[in-house]
Amino acid sequence: MERSFKRALTALDDVFGFLDEAMMACGVDAASAYAVNFAVEEFFTNMVKYEPEGDHTVSINVEREENRLTVRMVDTGVRPFDVTNARAPDLSASLEDRPVGGLGLHISKELLDSVTYEYGKGQSTITFVKTLET
Amino acid sequence: MFSITVGDDGEIQLSGRFDASRVEQAEAIFNRVNSTCKVNFSDLQYISSAGLGVLLKTQKRLSASGHSLILIRMNKLVRDVFRIARFDLVFQIDEEQSPPLKMS
Repeated sequence: MERSFKRALTALDDVFGFLDEAMMACGVDAASAYAVNFAVEEFFTNMVKYEPEGDHTVSINVEREENRLTVRMVDTGVRPFDVTNARAPDLSASLEDRPVGGLGLHISKELLDSVTYEYGKGQSTITFVKTLET
Repeated sequence: MFSITVGDDGEIQLSGRFDASRVEQAEAIFNRVNSTCKVNFSDLQYISSAGLGVLLKTQKRLSASGHSLILIRMNKLVRDVFRIARFDLVFQIDEEQSPPLKMS
């Protein structure tokens, strides 16, 4: 299943609506569906944050093969931003020293099996894989 | 759908999906908290990193005056995210769990 969305925070409800349909169609268990929602929101909001200009769309493709779910997100007309290179925050820091941001990419990676990033001709592609429980 | 309400006893109730588009709505409540208070997660089915950020920011502000948020009744999926974020180190999290809600 594939659909395109406006690169804007207001599109988030539509993104979740699409993911609900896709998770249902692919028979995805609740824990894996949570992980996919969390990661897609994280990557999508990053795309919005770093490239708020322009009227390009972000396409999201979801495919299941046996017990592996692959999600591919393509963002066009953008500069490179490799999400897999983000520095992990210091999670053992005291409350005063813990930064408020930077947590989402780390958690996404923990919830998923793999995350890969490719860039070419102004196009960012994030592909991630989640092994399903059922 | 996401909603945040404050009960007569001052307990904050979260329900639905707490995602990046709900940060302002949630901050309107959390920014007014100025003493120790419970946050009830029993009807919350989803929280993203944006939601975690709102909670952490509030906790940092409250701790400066010796207060804190106490997080109660999370479902297992939400609890797992708090564990990965290692929020156990910076929040009191009540281990009594709610049954997981269906994503809808």
